[in-house]
Amino acid sequence: MISPLSLEIVVLILGIFMLLVESFSKSDDKQGLARFAIVILSALVGFSFFTTGNAGVDLSRAFYSADATALFFKRIALVTTIVVLVMALEYRTVLARFIPGVTPGAGLGEFYSLPIFTCAGLMFMASAVDFLLIFVSLELVTVSFYVLVAYMRRQSTSLEAGVKYLILGALSTGFLVYGITWIFGLTGQTNLYAISEALHTRDIARAPLLFGVMLTLVGLGFKIAAVPFQIWVPDVYQGAPTPVTAFLSVGSKAAGFVVLLRVLEPFLGLSTINTNVLTLLAILAGATLLYGNLAALPQDNLKRLFAYSSIAHAGYLLVAVASVQNSPTSFGSAGVAVGYYLVAYLLMTLLSFLVMIVVSNHSRGDDITHFNGLAKRSPFLAFGMLAAMLSLAGIPFTAGFYGKLLVFAAAIQAGKFVLVGIGVITVAAGFYYYLRVVAAMYWQEPNDDTKITLSFLSKFTIGTLTALIFIFGIFPQPIVQSLRSVPMIQTAQH
Amino acid sequence: MTLTLNHYLFVSGLLFAIGFAGVMMRRNIITIFMCLELMLNAANLSLVAFSRFNLVNGLPNYNAQVLVFFIITVAAAEVAVGLAIIVALYRARQTIHVEDISSLKF
Repeated sequence: MISPLSLEIVVLILGIFMLLVESFSKSDDKQGLARFAIVILSALVGFSFFTTGNAGVDLSRAFYSADATALFFKRIALVTTIVVLVMALEYRTVLARFIPGVTPGAGLGEFYSLPIFTCAGLMFMASAVDFLLIFVSLELVTVSFYVLVAYMRRQSTSLEAGVKYLILGALSTGFLVYGITWIFGLTGQTNLYAISEALHTRDIARAPLLFGVMLTLVGLGFKIAAVPFQIWVPDVYQGAPTPVTAFLSVGSKAAGFVVLLRVLEPFLGLSTINTNVLTLLAILAGATLLYGNLAALPQDNLKRLFAYSSIAHAGYLLVAVASVQNSPTSFGSAGVAVGYYLVAYLLMTLLSFLVMIVVSNHSRGDDITHFNGLAKRSPFLAFGMLAAMLSLAGIPFTAGFYGKLLVFAAAIQAGKFVLVGIGVITVAAGFYYYLRVVAAMYWQEPNDDTKITLSFLSKFTIGTLTALIFIFGIFPQPIVQSLRSVPMIQTAQH
Repeated sequence: MTLTLNHYLFVSGLLFAIGFAGVMMRRNIITIFMCLELMLNAANLSLVAFSRFNLVNGLPNYNAQVLVFFIITVAAAEVAVGLAIIVALYRARQTIHVEDISSLKF
């Protein structure tokens, strides 16, 4: 058995090692570096099943928890990073055109090593149970994303996206820190379990506590792209290099949700404020669902379409979070819904971005029209994209469908019928814009007839992701069972 | 007059509000960035005030003061990356005004 912390340590060492190789190696071709990182990260996914848990750790004095939830989200972070590296390899020709360098390959190694640091940050976020660690790991993720988003320094849209992400990311940090300040001021604690204990044992003024929780929610709302804190999303998603967009929409969101669940847990357990917090979450969820799905309808640029779709999916996840009730079992069913939905979201989003990178490498653009007649040019890619789109829209027998089913079941169990209603309507809107892509691929004539070539690694990744979407859609039980057998978030003992 | 916790919280709230208003209203990215730092410092001020006034066993609660050091350090890292991005944008566009940075449209 290995200590869970050693996973993060290996990831950090790998990142530093890659930066050193990038700085000192004479070789111009850094592809080997990315492949090496993919191998190491895949090995870590395997090792994560053999870690010792956090038995015997007093969580109210800990910074770091290694419960089942944390390990689950660590695996999500690792898998996302692996696929992002595959994307980065596929994207390297585009990158090389837009970064200043003496030689064509110069500076690419950094693009492979920065996601590794982001991954370490995401893994720490999954385990953080103290506001100090939550803040530091969140910033590790955010600051490395600033660099990644603005990476293509010769393309002004990338820089523009970088500046927008910088300003709004820093703004959300400001809100989060100020919220933490108030929660600390009222409870005298920064550890979430200690805060929970203090909330139940001490008499705490309600209004300032709600103020602190709301500020924290604003900060986290920016990270998970909930309306009205979504303004940065479309521009940043469109301007950033495509692998970074994929990383932002999956990794950043998954970690945002695990932090959200952990931070909310002590406050939802407190009967004086939990109805207010849940109402607030329900309003956020409804607004996010409507805005994301309706604004996606007229989009022609696929990256921008995915930005709105990512907002829409944050809405479905928020419906599950808003369905959390005071009892631990309900926390379980909403937690299972969030966990399963994130796995499905990971598979379908990464798959569609990977296909998009390959196609736009050939068509030099990422509008929906560039996908015209893809089925004739490359049936394999078109089928991958079809699977992703069907799953994103929520067609039965795909992972996305079962995810939505779990979310709505949790919402019905909690009696949130309005949210279920909005959810069903917005799913219908989703059909329209996702199936537009499918229609372009299968029913339009191709703009050019060049065959699309694929590296073995990308082919393997696309194949695996496609297969998993259907496997998880048809046999969802194993993953649901594995989520259900452990408490999603360990509730504090009172 | 003795200074109480409320005085500190008031000043910190004022700093936060000034920072937030600046982010919303100013048009120069460097100024916006300074306003963001102001918001973080507002949080730092109230953290230290809470720590100093809510004594635990006669001692300040040092958790908050450690958190302040982390916030200062992280803010410095953020500025290092942020200014680099702003300089790169200035080189590409010859401007740092938000109105001019709108090639990505809603």
